[in-house]
Amino acid sequence: MANNFHDQVIAILPRLRVQALALTRNRTMAEDLVQDAVCNALAAQDSFIPGTNFSAWMHRILRNRFISDLRKRRETTDIEDIPASVLATTASHEDRLALKDLAMALDRLPQDQREALIMVVLHGMSYEHLAEATGCAVGTAKSRVFRARRQLENWMTGEDPDAPQVKARIARVRGLLAERTAPLGSAAAHP
Amino acid sequence: MTSRKDSRPARPSKASKATRRDDPFELWLKRGLHQLFDEVASEPLPEELLRLIEKDRETKG
Repeated sequence: MANNFHDQVIAILPRLRVQALALTRNRTMAEDLVQDAVCNALAAQDSFIPGTNFSAWMHRILRNRFISDLRKRRETTDIEDIPASVLATTASHEDRLALKDLAMALDRLPQDQREALIMVVLHGMSYEHLAEATGCAVGTAKSRVFRARRQLENWMTGEDPDAPQVKARIARVRGLLAERTAPLGSAAAHP
Repeated sequence: MTSRKDSRPARPSKASKATRRDDPFELWLKRGLHQLFDEVASEPLPEELLRLIEKDRETKG
C-alpha cells in the first residue's frame, strides 16, 4: 500500500505543477508550492484512505498549502511567466500573440476560477472531483468553470466593454477563430 | 457565431456540455490551455523532489 501511495504521488506531480502555476502564476513559486505540498502529503499519508480519490486528496493538499502560504505573504504576480513559456513554443506568430492574449486574460481571472477552469478543461477533471479537491459544493465548482469560460470568451472576443486593452486584439482573435472553425471541427475527433 | 451565442444557456448544464465540445471557442480554449501548460507539465521532475519521495518510500517500506 505504501509503495502504491508513493507511485501515485510521483504520477500526479505534472498535474500538481500545472495547478500550482495556475494558482501562483509564478514558476519559482509553483515549484516551491509543489515541493511543500508533497512534503505535507508524505507527512499526512496515514490520513489518506485507500480506495478514495487520491487525486482530489492531493490537489486539496496543494490548494490548502497555497492558501496557508498566502496568509504569510502577499500574493505575487508575475504575468510574464506564462507568456515566456508560450514564446518558447513552435506556434506561429499569430498563434503566439493569441496565446499571449489568452495568458493575460487567464491572469485577470479570479484565482479560484482560473484553477477550476484549468483542472476541468485541461485535466478533464469532473465537477465532483473538482468540488472535492477545492472544498466547495459541486454547484460552486460548475459555476466557477462556467464563469471563467464565459469571462474569457467575452474578453477574447471583445464583448466586454471594460476590456480596452483586449479590444485592440479583437480582430486578430476573431480571425483566428473563424479560420480554425473547420480545422478544429475535424481535430475534435482526433484530440 | 452570433446565433450560437444567442442560444447559449445562461447556466452550465448537461445539455450544454455536448454542444460546448463542438463550440469553436471551447476547442480553441482547450488547445490554448494545452499549449500554455503542457510544456510545464512535461518538464523533467526535479531530482531533489524524487529523492525526497523515494527516501520516504524506503522509510515506510
